[in-house]
Formats: sequence, C-alpha cells, structure tokens
Amino acid sequence: MSLPFKPASTPWLLAHEIRLAWRGAMAGRKSRGPGSIIAFAILGAFALAGGVFLALATKGHEIPIIPFAVIITDMALAVILTLMLSTTLAASADALYERGDLDLLFSSPLSPRRVLFVRALGLAVNAGLWFMLPAVLLLTPAIVMGHPNWAGVFVVLASAALAASGVGLLLAMALFALIGPRRTRTVAQVMAALIGAAFFLASQYRNLMGEKASESLFARIALDVRDGRIQPPPFADLPLRAAVGQPIPLLILLAIGLGVFLFAARVLGRRFADAAAATQGAETRKAAKGPTRDFAAGAFQATLRKELRLISRDAALLSQVLLRVLYMVPLAFVMVRGAAHLPAWTLAGPAAAVTFLAGQVAGSLIWITVSAEDTPDLLAISPTPMSVLRRAKLAAALIPVAGLLIVPIAALTWYAPLAGLWTALGAGLTAWTAGLIGVWHQKPGKRADFRRRRGGSFLAALAELVIAALIGGATALAVAGLLVWALIPLIVAGALVMALRRTDEQIAAALRAASR
Amino acid sequence: MGAALTEALVIRGLNKTFAKPAVSDLDLTVRAGELYALLGPNGAGKTTTLRMVAGLTQPDAGEIAIFGIDARKDPAAAKALLAWAPDEAMIYDKLTPLEYLEFVAGLWNIEPRAAKTKAEELLSTLGLASEARRRCEGFSRGMKQKVALAGALIHDPKLLILDEPLTGLDAAAARLVKDMLQARVDAGGTVILTTHILEVAERMADRIGIIAGGRLLAEGTLDELRSRAGEASGRTLEDVFLQLTAEAAA
Repeated sequence: MSLPFKPASTPWLLAHEIRLAWRGAMAGRKSRGPGSIIAFAILGAFALAGGVFLALATKGHEIPIIPFAVIITDMALAVILTLMLSTTLAASADALYERGDLDLLFSSPLSPRRVLFVRALGLAVNAGLWFMLPAVLLLTPAIVMGHPNWAGVFVVLASAALAASGVGLLLAMALFALIGPRRTRTVAQVMAALIGAAFFLASQYRNLMGEKASESLFARIALDVRDGRIQPPPFADLPLRAAVGQPIPLLILLAIGLGVFLFAARVLGRRFADAAAATQGAETRKAAKGPTRDFAAGAFQATLRKELRLISRDAALLSQVLLRVLYMVPLAFVMVRGAAHLPAWTLAGPAAAVTFLAGQVAGSLIWITVSAEDTPDLLAISPTPMSVLRRAKLAAALIPVAGLLIVPIAALTWYAPLAGLWTALGAGLTAWTAGLIGVWHQKPGKRADFRRRRGGSFLAALAELVIAALIGGATALAVAGLLVWALIPLIVAGALVMALRRTDEQIAAALRAASR
Repeated sequence: MGAALTEALVIRGLNKTFAKPAVSDLDLTVRAGELYALLGPNGAGKTTTLRMVAGLTQPDAGEIAIFGIDARKDPAAAKALLAWAPDEAMIYDKLTPLEYLEFVAGLWNIEPRAAKTKAEELLSTLGLASEARRRCEGFSRGMKQKVALAGALIHDPKLLILDEPLTGLDAAAARLVKDMLQARVDAGGTVILTTHILEVAERMADRIGIIAGGRLLAEGTLDELRSRAGEASGRTLEDVFLQLTAEAAA
C-alpha cells in the first residue's frame, strides 16, 4: 500500500512512521491472542462507563476557577509531565543507539532536521497516547453531554506531550555532549527513572523527613490552598483555564508546547544525526583488568553467573528496577520509623506495598532472564536439561530482589520482629510466584522490548498482578495481627497459582506454538 | 538403526514440512573424520536439515543418529557430542568472550579449570586474546563469528556443524578458520559445513552433498560428482553444482 503523500515530504515520512508503529502494535496484539483484546475492551468499557457517570454528575455544572481546583489541576499536570518526560528522555536516548532505519534515513537525501522532526513527533505521540486514550474515554461523554469546552483537556495533553518530547530530546543531547556516547544511555535511563519517581518522592517528603507518617506533601498543599492558608502563584490557573476551553490560556499552553518542541527539533537537527553516528560502537567498554575469575562449575552455576552479569549490565532494566525501588523507599521509611512506636496495624499498608513491589521487580527480572534470552538456540543445543537452566534463571531473578529487600526488612525486624517476619515471607512468596508465572508463561521476546515488557500472555500478567495483590493483602492482615483472615487471600492466591501452573511439556508446546 | 561408529551422522527418511515441504525423505551419511560440505541453493533445506540434527527443529519423520546415538530418543547424549554454529553468531553482546566461553563450557559441563585453559587457548588461536575481557557489543561481525566458533569448540565436539562459517570474515580470518577446521579433521574430528562459497567446498571437503527442494541430489567426492553430472575432469564444482541443481529444477 503506497502512502498518499508526496514522497520524502514530512507528512509522507510521518505516515511511514505511523504505519510501522501500527503494524508493530498489531503484530504484538495478534501474538498475544484474544485475551489482551478482551481485557483492553473491558478496561475501555469501564473507563467509558466512568465517563458517562462523570457526564451525568457534572451535567449543568461548570468547574469553578478557584484556588483549590487550580492547584489540583496544576499538580495533576505536573505528574503527567514528569511521567511523559521520563518516557521521552529514555526513548530519546534509545533513538540514538537503536539503529533501526536511522542509517537508511540519514544516508538518504532527506534533511536530518526532517528526520529528527518526525522522530520527535513519534516520541510525543507515544508519550501522549498513554494519557490521551483514557482521557478520550473518560471525557467524551461529558463533551457530548453539555461540556464541549472540556475538549481543551486534549489540547493541554497534546501540548504537554510536545513539550516533554522537546525537553526529553534536549536533555538526551545535553547528556551526550556532557558525558559522551558511552555513558549517555545508562545515565539517561537512570535519570528517566528518577524523573518518573520525582513527583512521588517529593510528595512523600514529609514521610522521608520523618515529620509525619503516611501523609503526602501535596495533599497538605491542596488542603492549605483550599483553606486559604496559601495562594497559588500567578499564572498557576493557566492549565485549568485551558482545560475548560478558555481560548487564550489554551493558545498560550499550545504555543509553549509547540515552541519547546520546534526549538528542540530545529536546534538539534544535524547534531542528532552526528550523535547517532557517534554512538556506533561507542558502548564498547574498556577491557577489564586484574586476574580472571575461575570458571563456574556446571550448568546451573554458569547460567546463574551469566544471568546476573547480564542483569547488572542492562541499563533499561536497571532504570526500571530503580524506579520501583524509589517507590519502595518512602514505604520502607514509614515502616522502619513507625515500627518502633506505632501499633502493628499502621505497618500493614506499607508491608503490603513492599510485598507487591517485590513481586513486580521479580516479574521484570524473570521476564528478562527467561523470555528475553538472547540465544535460545545455544541453550537448546546444549545437553543441559531445560529444568536446570530454568532453575538457574529463576534464582538469578530472585537474588537481586532479596538483595534489595534485605536491608529494609532487617531494619523492620529489628524494631518489630513479627512484622518483619511476615513482610519477608510475603515478599519472598510474591517474588517466587511471579518468577514461577514468568517461567510457566514465558514467551520469547527481545531484551530491547523490555520497557513494553510482556510480549507474553496478558492474562498471565494480569493474574500475576492479582496474585501479588492477594499476597500483599495477606501480608497486611498478618502484620496487623489478623492471621486467620490472612489465610483467605493466601488460599485464593494459591488456587490462582495452581491454575496457572504448566508442566515442562506444556511450556515446550506453548513455545513451539509461539514460534510458528 | 545400528549405525557403526565409523559413521558420525546417519540420517534416514528425514522429513520436515512447514508451509511446504522443506526436507523430503532425506538420507545422508557422514563418516567419522571427514569434512562434509552440504551445498544447495537458497531454500534448499540445508539449514532445516542441520537444525534437525542439532535438535533445534523437530522432524516430522525420520531417524537421526550421531555416532550411533539416536538423537530423537536420547537428545542429551547426542547433543553432548556435537556443536552447532549458525551464520548468525549465538553470543551475548553484554558478555566478554571469556565470560561467554565460561557459560558455554558450563552448559556442556566441562571441568572449570580445563575449560578456562581451553578458552584462553582458543581465543589466542583465533586472535582474540587482547579482546578476551572486552564486551562483545562493540565487536565486528567477523569477531563475533570467531567468538561463536570458540564457543562451538570449547567442549571439543566430535561432530562440528557449521552453517555458513565464513560469512562476515575477512580474508585472514577466513583462512584462519579454514586452517582450524582442517586441523580438526586431520586430528580425527568430523565437520559438516554449508557454504555458498563453492571454492571452499572444492578445496576443503572430503565429500560433498548437493541438496535442492529438500532432497539429496548427489553425493560424493568432487570427481564422483563430476562423473555423475557427466562433466569433464577439468570442470569446477560450480559447473557441476549449477548443472545438477538446474536438472533438479527442470
């Protein structure tokens, strides 16, 4: 199918990018089967139902431009912007290193500026879609039923995505200039994780500093604004006014977003091409020095060592794990600080969250070790039984989780031994079940696809989440002293795990079917 | 099947169909201690055949014996004797050659100290000693091929299967690899290789098999193939190959 634009024009190139992205997304859907489509349809229906409810509830009412609404909108936009920036920064760095068709495009007569413009637009669309899709479902009923001006929200989101894309590119290029091609990718990934978690960490400032347990700084600000103790700064009302469709604020925000985006695309143009060329082979590390280690004995030890090495050298993986660890930090602070003097039940929530996050980290690691194996053929031609390799990979995924949890859980156990014990058991159990599900429902994927994680079964991923939540709940109940009640979610989680179980033969059959 | 130990590989009635037949009733015998070149046009079924021998693809029917071991009944025992190196190097970009060889040696359960010595020896022979502790991510295609070849040799396989082993190698590296393969055969090892570079087969192979459409068209020494094709003794393997595959396609 030919594209309906003049060849080599910007719309033509953009249509080419969109076609590739669409085919990539559809290929993923097809391989995941109808489960993911059904699950997305259900989620979409829920969002739409929420939208109808919102439309009915707000029929005849307009959002007042008052300080409280202004500050809530500003904080929501700040969260969205940081998350978008986190995405675009990581993607900008990747765009430099993942060659794809960059060499073809830069060797063609197309101007590098045009190529970058389209790539940057792709980053903006990618970052914006995550928020635009739910926003469309939630707001369309209200827009149709009397609030057409709320369509301004879409423009605000598009402006935010454009600005985030521009800033992401500028940051990636600044890193490139400052620290060189060898370190930029890793540092950009880590920075993206920090930016992604920045808002959450800032909101937990009071918890981290020990001023008051379990209270968000931003909740405090919102309440202070509502009660008139503090006033929003000038122009803070722009996002809210734009969101409710006031033309001047809308135009100002759009101009800011577009301005940042165009500035980045214009300024970087040729430099992006040069930087992309400079990354060729730039990730090569210097040869290690010092005596060589003895070789590992046997397949289990060799595989474990190899997986741990690969985990420790994967920048994208480390940034994702770091992100989850950053979310864990305030919870760990609350738990350890509160353990000494607060009643046990106040530790239940943080214990559940730590347990849940342990499962999430283990799930990511097991996906990398099992499904994203770089050379499955090498393992398949070796005489080592698959079961040995899987055990080694499972162990490799669980060891870092244990390493991450050992300090907070040891500290908690020091102050509240029983709470520490239940949290350790809960976290260990979620990590282990996440690992088993990752082994049973593996689907080969590429390491580079890690951020999209799960070329695998959507339903298995959903079940993993539910199981982690159930074990988290059981841990919370146990920490709160309600041991008998903790058995209920634990039994349900166990039943779910058993339902997901696959034998070696079933795993092999599923892998054969997936490779057809 | 009762294969004698003088036969490194015996294939009988091998069949594999994907969308269309890839390998049909293939019979093939490779003797121990010979270098056997499997030639054929693109899509002839060479790689599918070798993947079935290596246990990577399940045949629909047929028998495969490696040094007398039924590879379908006892795959682990058969795999212990062979190595497979495809045209795309099976290596990890984030590991160094030494770390990679440590992993492969572990898979074949080689004693760690012996494996380390052998790994250093192989990397030195292949001209990679100075790169032994540098990650493979910055390596050229040829260097990656050499690392993969070292991986294939680390456990001293009795049967070495190479799919297009010279792809991406420069002249010096290609010569080095050819010399290594010849030395291996001289020492009693068995090598099966596929190649599109017919001069390599002509110069190195003890026997040559020509496959097309999943069937073995002809097999033998170069002279035997010439007489089979009715070609004069001065004709090259290329002439013989083109004539036989053209006849099969007709």
